Amino acid sequence: MSSKNVLLKNVVKIYKGQGKKDVVAVNNVSLEIKAGEFVTLLGPSGCGKTTLLRIIAGFETPTGGEVYIGGENVTQITPDRRDTAMVFQSYALFPHLTVYENVAYGLRVKKQSESRIRQSVAEMLELVGLTGMESRYPNQLSGGQQQRVALARSIVMRPSVLLFDEPLSNLDAKLRVHMRGEIRRLQRQVGITGIYVTHDQAEAMSMSDRIIVMNNGVVEQSGTPQEIYLTPASEFVADFIGMANLVDAVVAEAGEGQGIIDLLGAKFRISSRGDLRSGEKVRVVIRPEAVALAGDGGIPAVVETSVYMGSSQDYRVRIDGQTISVVAYNPDESFREGDRVYLRIDERKLHVVRK
Amino acid sequence: MQAVRRDPVLAGTIAIVIVSLLLFIVWPIYAVLKESFISQQGLFTLDYYREAFRQSENVRVLVNTLWIGLFVSLFSTAIGFLFAYADAYLKIRFKSIFNILAILPIISPPFALSMSFIMLFGQRGFITYHLLGIKDANVYGFAGLAAVQILTFFPIAYLVLAGLLRQIDPSYEEAAQNMGASRWRIFRTVTLPLVVPGIANSFLLVFIQTVADFGNAMVIGGNYTTLAAKIYLQAMGNYDVKGGTALATILLSISVIMFVMQKYWVGEKSYVTVTGKPSRERQLISDGKVVWPVGLACFFISAFILLLYILIPYGSVVNLWGIDFTPTLKHYEYVFSLGLKPIIDTTYLSLLSMPITGILSMIIAFLIVRKKFFGRSMVEFTSMLSMAVPGTVIGMGYILAYNGPPLVLTGTATIIVFSFIFRNMPVGIRAGVASLRQIDPAIEEAAQDLGASSYKVFTSVTIPLIKSAFFSGLVYSFVRSMTAVSAVIFLVSASYNLLTVAIMGQVDVGRIGVAAAYSTILIIIVLAVTGALKLILGRMGIAVADM
Repeated sequence: MSSKNVLLKNVVKIYKGQGKKDVVAVNNVSLEIKAGEFVTLLGPSGCGKTTLLRIIAGFETPTGGEVYIGGENVTQITPDRRDTAMVFQSYALFPHLTVYENVAYGLRVKKQSESRIRQSVAEMLELVGLTGMESRYPNQLSGGQQQRVALARSIVMRPSVLLFDEPLSNLDAKLRVHMRGEIRRLQRQVGITGIYVTHDQAEAMSMSDRIIVMNNGVVEQSGTPQEIYLTPASEFVADFIGMANLVDAVVAEAGEGQGIIDLLGAKFRISSRGDLRSGEKVRVVIRPEAVALAGDGGIPAVVETSVYMGSSQDYRVRIDGQTISVVAYNPDESFREGDRVYLRIDERKLHVVRK
Repeated sequence: MQAVRRDPVLAGTIAIVIVSLLLFIVWPIYAVLKESFISQQGLFTLDYYREAFRQSENVRVLVNTLWIGLFVSLFSTAIGFLFAYADAYLKIRFKSIFNILAILPIISPPFALSMSFIMLFGQRGFITYHLLGIKDANVYGFAGLAAVQILTFFPIAYLVLAGLLRQIDPSYEEAAQNMGASRWRIFRTVTLPLVVPGIANSFLLVFIQTVADFGNAMVIGGNYTTLAAKIYLQAMGNYDVKGGTALATILLSISVIMFVMQKYWVGEKSYVTVTGKPSRERQLISDGKVVWPVGLACFFISAFILLLYILIPYGSVVNLWGIDFTPTLKHYEYVFSLGLKPIIDTTYLSLLSMPITGILSMIIAFLIVRKKFFGRSMVEFTSMLSMAVPGTVIGMGYILAYNGPPLVLTGTATIIVFSFIFRNMPVGIRAGVASLRQIDPAIEEAAQDLGASSYKVFTSVTIPLIKSAFFSGLVYSFVRSMTAVSAVIFLVSASYNLLTVAIMGQVDVGRIGVAAAYSTILIIIVLAVTGALKLILGRMGIAVADM
């Protein structure tokens, strides 16, 4: 098997609205996914991520633009003749076929010999840990097992590109975490290019080589999980990934790739990818864990709420009309609602986004 | 939804479906309209309508049709509701009979009850002449026709309403009860309002059936002529095809208006969400004050209908109904001496059209639910429309359309088979659509994603998943073909005669015993074939839903 790259060039998808406005589901998206890479398309519902995935699979024809898989233009090719295999949100197992027949379905369509099919299916079921379940029907399996059959059915085809449409959203929280690792292991083992759609940032962070954040049909940012979290490209990304306080600030002193900003009445030295101009108004992303609360020394604030979360203590504090979230892990001391506190902000963790 | 143009097999299938719908539904209807609006000289004219309405008789026929439609629909809906309520809400024992009542009108000739009524209430009727001693009883006319139609068509209302009542979540009524409402109040303020759209729906469905009813109108209508019968008499009896088409157009307009109202106005207004899974078992009412009156009413109506149907085989084995009740097999001897041709022809043509109807209706259901293409709503509308077009109109359309080039089919078996296929398709389509809507489209996408072509997806995934609907459609189409009369009466010929038409002929000349024998044979064939089908399918593990 050879994994292939996927290239999207100016892909646009417009749904004709009934009498009313048309809906632009995907708005001029261009991106490349390298062979063997595992990429997640992350975004809120309605951002166009599933549409984009279905365009890559061939279920939707783009209104404009082209799709290349392994250098071949597949824009007008139907899904059955594309070298992709999809794992569906609902698993979409054939209810009238056994586990064995489900996994063998695609191989039969390819008219492989019965002995080869038997071997491939057996290998595959072993890989996903379902040996012995061959003659069961989907409705006799647990959700997690059905998920594995769906995985096996796709991977057994040895496709060049594996597509995942929120495959874990129907599982309970514990199993979901387990299956994340499982999917990543399988994908690495067989070395197939993976494109994974999800709205769950924890899934995206824990599985991906690269995350593509989408909103309103456009790509907001593409980068490694670290890049996405630490240096979000826009307010949307900052807000969507993890918790973020977005606070107004003014550039006090501009330097090359760095500067001093006036934030919450205090001065901070920050680095910046773009050039800052003196006097410019900017937005600053303050992650809740970049702030520590202390009994003295820092920016004065008042605790509004204080919630015990087990591994952390979550606060919302008030500073001249603004509310800021603060998370303290393993806190030595905890503050109570109404306490006067002082904020200490780690300036290395501050990140500026343009308005 | 993928574009059709990328998939030649799919595009080809859609083209074939559209062409066949145009050819066998739209064109015949167009032929009727054209014939009624175009003069001998080929000019547009309204003369045939003016002519039709100049005859006061035709105006009366129109009024008759509307009046009996209204009357029968009202009573059928009321009785249907009574049965549906008893079925869904009451603790009574004999509910299994209800299903039989619903099936009997489908598996017997459409005018079977008219025959039984004549046997009971006719001039030599068992009740009128023998029990009551009335010498000149006249069963023919409004009363006889209305009674027969109510008993034939109320099961339609029953099925619609029972389906709806069973879907009502019992918690609505429990909530009302919890707030202190009495049973009557709950019925009046919760249950009844919830099924108002269903009641309107049943009313319209029965109305469409009643105005289109040809068999009963011919057999027991007497001087109370309705449009469905008049069209036939005008065109085939008086050889006034033009006048017949003008009347046919009027009948067609009535039916189409009702159909459009039913489908697009009432059909959309359901409060009861059909989820496919009933939420919870309802606590059935066992209070005698409710169960006794409703139960008794249902019981007497059921018993009476069963009696009417039993009269048919019984009437076929007595010497001369109304005069000499000695057992005899002479009617069967007479039937066999006439030859088995109509029996064999009917069965053969019905069997022939069965698989075609079944497959075509599943394909259309699949296209309607799963594919987006130019003309989809036209395909949906046209294919369901053929259910509402009265048989006499379509029969007339068929002889007009296929009498000359490009398609000459008059007098052939083909024309009969086509009429069977396109008349019986809607039920299969409806069953297919309903069961497809329950199936996650991702399952078919998964198959395609794994490399299956659209043809392969359809045969290896779609059909197995909707096989129950598919086979129900098969069984139903066979039965309907066997009992069809209104359209095919225009299409039979010396070379191909059909059972139902032969039976009507016998009733017409007063040989009720022979007609009863034919009817009994027809019912036996229907039961034997459907029974065999169900048995074979049952062995294969496929349940066939009742119709």
